[in-house]
Amino acid sequence: MIQLFHLFKNFGANVALQDISLRIRKGEFVFVTGPSGAGKTTLLRLMFGVEKPTSGHILINGINLNRIGRKKLDLLRRKVGFVFQDFKLLTGRTVFENVALALEVRGERPSYVRKKAHLALRSVGLVKKEQSYPLQLSGGEQQRVAIARAIVNDPLVLLADEPTGNLDPDLTREIMLLFRTIHMKGTTVVVATHSRELLQETAQRQVILNRGRLIGEK
Amino acid sequence: MKLRLAPYFIRQAIQNVRKNWLVHIVGVSTMVISFLIFGAFLLLFYNVDSWIHGWGDSLSMSVYLEDGIDGTAKEKVLSLIRGIPGAHIERTITKKQAFLDLKRALGREANILDGLPRNPLPASIEVVFRPSEGNKPDPGKLRKKLETFAGVEEVQYSEEWLNRFEGLMRVFRLAGLIIGGLLGLGVLFIVTNTIKLTIYSRQEEIGIMKLVGATDWFVKTPFLIEGSIQGVVSGFLSILILYSGYIILSVKKADILGLALLDFVFIPNSYTLTIFLVSVALGLLGSFIALGRFFRI
Repeated sequence: MIQLFHLFKNFGANVALQDISLRIRKGEFVFVTGPSGAGKTTLLRLMFGVEKPTSGHILINGINLNRIGRKKLDLLRRKVGFVFQDFKLLTGRTVFENVALALEVRGERPSYVRKKAHLALRSVGLVKKEQSYPLQLSGGEQQRVAIARAIVNDPLVLLADEPTGNLDPDLTREIMLLFRTIHMKGTTVVVATHSRELLQETAQRQVILNRGRLIGEK
Repeated sequence: MKLRLAPYFIRQAIQNVRKNWLVHIVGVSTMVISFLIFGAFLLLFYNVDSWIHGWGDSLSMSVYLEDGIDGTAKEKVLSLIRGIPGAHIERTITKKQAFLDLKRALGREANILDGLPRNPLPASIEVVFRPSEGNKPDPGKLRKKLETFAGVEEVQYSEEWLNRFEGLMRVFRLAGLIIGGLLGLGVLFIVTNTIKLTIYSRQEEIGIMKLVGATDWFVKTPFLIEGSIQGVVSGFLSILILYSGYIILSVKKADILGLALLDFVFIPNSYTLTIFLVSVALGLLGSFIALGRFFRI
């Protein structure tokens, strides 16, 4: 599903990633871990096409991100959900509208948008908050809205960058349970985290980064 | 692009206008002022041009006769004029009549004529041409012919100074093009910056839309509609204010401009439609330029 070949990424003189080669199979649940500044966020951003690699290749579902145009990348993003640490919700739109946005950009019919957005919000337990605004919600609820938006299109891949970074242990467990449920439905899930507690509780594959290098796997 | 997205785009554009209403009010006001300046110029130009053409259509000519012209020579001149299609002899003025007319025109100052040893004014024939279709007289040619006649001293016709006016109108037209062009550029600059401001105010939103897979056109379209709305509102208001101004001026024209004798009309529908369409087009083009710059970054 995701293949990385000799990936390098520099930001000016700073080397963010060095020679990363990785293969994530379809339906796999993988944690990308390592200390702060290890390159986890950069790796996920490269997989999502937000950044371009300095060298090397990224294949998502067989599509080489280096070789596709801007428009095709927009279309590919509809197949890849991304959950940001800072949620990236539109504060001027309701919870429902935030989730519906991911469907509206695809040009879906309003009736379909209503149905799917409602289902996604139900799956994260936020049906009663549909008409609330993000700033009226707790951090955990906001993260669940972000997850609902990321999964509403039934993505092939779900990328999550430190999705529990701002949450307490109870909310962290709640969010991880959501990811496992999504994974059970067949979605490939990649979660970047530096939380040791979270990693100790899981038996999933772990890819370990340090100073931009892939130093091992568990 | 899917047609069913149209309501979504229009809704988004209206929401954008509402959110950035102050920026849009400033933008629309400036556009309206620009179009009003141009519209007022067009209104003036159109009327002056019609007056000049109106006068040109009713060309008049004065044939001045030598003193002591005999009846046969005068009759020859009169019959030549009568033979010209569309020519009408308005009146024949004797020397004495010309003197009395001048005296009447001078009013209280008429006594300055008392010291004259003799009447210096010539007798004349006033001719008015009412050209019909395919029958436009050539006053220059006619003057040459009349001046060869015995007893004719001088021939003057109104088109001589109309031609001078035509030259002035050409300058006027050129000035209009320059003013219109400059105002058009100004309007384009205003719309571009108005839309740029609304884009910047929604930069985060655009970023998030792109992250969930929105294409560039999906993001751009509401802004293009927003620019068009600005153009539609500006065009409509400009025409409305221009027309109201015209109505007020038409009522008071006798007092203000002393133009009561002239027919002051509003610009034709084709002109108002052009102003409106140009306004919409500039709104659209302005947004297009703003978006082009934004999406290049």
